[in-house]
Amino acid sequence: MTLQLTQVSVTHAHGVQALRGIDLRIGAGEQVAVIGPSGAGKSSLLNLLATALRPGSGEVQLLGEPAWQLSARQRQRLRARIGLIHQSPPLPPRQRVVTAVLAGKLGQWGFGKSLLNLLHPLDIPGATAALARLDLGDKLFVQCQQLSGGQLQRVGIARVLYQAPEVLLADEPVSAMDPVLAEHTLSVLCRHAREHNVTLVASLHAVELALAHFSRVIGLRDGQILFDLPTEAVDRPLLDTLYANEQLQPSPTPPTTLSVQIPRC
Amino acid sequence: MNRLLNVVMVLCIGVAVVASFVYLGIDLGELGDSGNLQRMAAYAQRFLSPDLSPGHLQAIGRGALETLAMSALGTLLAAVFGLLLALPAAGRFGWPLQSASRLVLNALRAVPELVWAALMVLAAGLGPNAGTLALALHTTGVLGRLFAEALENTPSEPADAIRLQGGNAVLAFCYGTLPNLLPQLLAYVLYRWENNIRMASVLGFVGAGGLGQMLYVSLSLFQEAQGSTVILAMLLLVLAVDSLSGWSRQRWVKA
Repeated sequence: MTLQLTQVSVTHAHGVQALRGIDLRIGAGEQVAVIGPSGAGKSSLLNLLATALRPGSGEVQLLGEPAWQLSARQRQRLRARIGLIHQSPPLPPRQRVVTAVLAGKLGQWGFGKSLLNLLHPLDIPGATAALARLDLGDKLFVQCQQLSGGQLQRVGIARVLYQAPEVLLADEPVSAMDPVLAEHTLSVLCRHAREHNVTLVASLHAVELALAHFSRVIGLRDGQILFDLPTEAVDRPLLDTLYANEQLQPSPTPPTTLSVQIPRC
Repeated sequence: MNRLLNVVMVLCIGVAVVASFVYLGIDLGELGDSGNLQRMAAYAQRFLSPDLSPGHLQAIGRGALETLAMSALGTLLAAVFGLLLALPAAGRFGWPLQSASRLVLNALRAVPELVWAALMVLAAGLGPNAGTLALALHTTGVLGRLFAEALENTPSEPADAIRLQGGNAVLAFCYGTLPNLLPQLLAYVLYRWENNIRMASVLGFVGAGGLGQMLYVSLSLFQEAQGSTVILAMLLLVLAVDSLSGWSRQRWVKA
């Protein structure tokens, strides 16, 4: 098993229980969509799989290693093999797109090479290739703050594609894109996962996208798994139970703004 | 009742003003005397004919260069040490180091440049050495504090994302925090440099080199002509630095 959760519970700092008693097994090369109403724990589940969240109880096995029993150094090595696509990519507004994408390999490059890359991008063809797959090949030397929300999300995806991890986690990767672009981007992700035998887990708020692109669908509600089925077995009544009394709404992307105070005497 | 209170207040202020004049022995009437006015005019007159001989101008050029070098070097040293102290002061290495480095920064900042210069002249001898050290010490305190605040206000998500991909802490800082932080740091450094160049021209009064020392020597010897040239040079220097830092702000901070 590539990803294995055993009786995992997560409680946030402010006392909200995000996940309760989750049991989950995902094999190598599987493509899984996580759906559910907002607040169901989709982001918590993905952050848990990315080792961004530490479980309150239960066991997390990632790529055959017990993530939280490793030393900090070993865990950093494990993290280099796992890629997380953030819903609103945390990219510094003034960083150039090429640097932001090349930062994907920081976990794999040596220290000297990484610092050198900050001064002068070392693998421009690699970054171009990753961006070109998402139709952003012309934005290589643009600052991140000049991009729209959807473009920024694609830069975040390009960074993880460039990282080339063994496990690809995506938290609402297409939430800021128009339907056509969302289709295209998801199919790029799925094709990449198929071609490189990468395990792909993506949370989505658009059910149609989940059903169209993924072979296995997990329905999450109130921090628990309501169903975990092959796509063919997911039917209307099941979805109605999942979203009962809930409105589907994309969570807004908070804008990242940079304010500079310029002191005068 | 209220009106009475106001009248009493005004009377009190009037009494305080008169009492201050009496206590300090200032005789304003003397200022208006015809002889005194003439003497004042003569004093100002002596400043109106600056000494522009090539020899003196050369000396002033050297002094201005010294002042410029002192302020630039002092600010650069302060920026480096300020950043080194700002990292623990922003709580990056736990609370014991945080309170320790805050204490150091506060102590450095609490002592004014002139006092540092007087101390450094005793420690390092007369000349620009002492001035540079004095500027560096005080400015380290100021910049360290400003840098620490900027660090605390910088969003941590970009750096966290790098950590999550397996990058080490230094790289996360360079790739995630520094791009957001750098314009702010640069703005603070330029601002302090502007301040320091003005300060550097005064530090000479306690013997710490530069234009200030020349001015102090000229005035002590009642050489008003030479002194006024030095004052003109100081004005030009400050104006030049103002426009230089304004331009670099436009170029690197706003872009």
